[in-house]
Amino acid sequence: MSSKIKETVQKLLAENKIKGFLGLREENGHIMPHLFCDPKELDALSLGDWKKAGDTRYPLNQLMIRLTMEYPEETFAVLVRGCDERGLKELFKWKQLNEEKIVPIGMGCPDELAKACECEKPFPDSLIDGPKGGKADSQKVTRIEAMDLDARLQFWKAEFDRCIKCFGCRNICPMCFCNECSLEEDQLVGTGEIPPANPTFHLARAIHMVGRCIDCGLCEEACPADIPLRTLYKKVAEIISKEFGYKTGFSVDEKSPFNIIEVK
Amino acid sequence: MTFLKKLLEFAGIHPERLRARWVSSAEAVEFVHEISEFVEEIKKLGPNPLKAKKAA
Repeated sequence: MSSKIKETVQKLLAENKIKGFLGLREENGHIMPHLFCDPKELDALSLGDWKKAGDTRYPLNQLMIRLTMEYPEETFAVLVRGCDERGLKELFKWKQLNEEKIVPIGMGCPDELAKACECEKPFPDSLIDGPKGGKADSQKVTRIEAMDLDARLQFWKAEFDRCIKCFGCRNICPMCFCNECSLEEDQLVGTGEIPPANPTFHLARAIHMVGRCIDCGLCEEACPADIPLRTLYKKVAEIISKEFGYKTGFSVDEKSPFNIIEVK
Repeated sequence: MTFLKKLLEFAGIHPERLRARWVSSAEAVEFVHEISEFVEEIKKLGPNPLKAKKAA
């Protein structure tokens, strides 16, 4: 599947349309992010398949933000899955990335991964290669909704109690770009306690995921305590979609209802 | 508010425990009415399940 993507990137580099391509490369059996600037390097290009589909994923958009801060005049291409592209759309709207300076190179996720993710749209609009899988409904959210209030509280309390406050979920999040973070604000969530204020800490993060979380699931993958954060944020997205009719990352110009400031 | 209530409900906290009202400082009667009503509602719901667990 990587040949079509390789060709596309090679062409972009040869025609000098981009300064570099942010993707993944395999080296000594490890897959890691890499900025390809020379078409010759592309033989080492990897799409993240390691033991199983999409085993190795990185917040490439987050790296992209840092890269464009260093080189604001240059145009770069970036490897995107469906979720990454939703992220790009939001980051453009939040003015964290410049749409004119980014070329998305889309890949569709294999069925196996789309199902594991319970992904709403496992392929990007800028699809270059890969399958165009269907929508998968979230069983994880439904399972919690089947419990009564008390059981839900017990469930989340137990999950959040394992938190060691490593900030891994926030640090890996491609949509967390704030310079100052509420989670480090002593007056909002007490600092110096482990586990952190339960459930305040995690609900505060959930609230901040409104109109931002693009359901990539990196937070849950990064969590050393296996807290089902993705399920929580999936519910956040569901509320926003059902109550406010806004689907995060699906539109290029419509802003999140929680982020509309009228300038007259 | 709609969002917060739904999120609390998902996390297992009764949504009626959260309420926001817009009352001006000139509307004393309105303020008393809102607070009294909320206190009644909270009494019906019983003690905060989060607090109960901390004490145990």
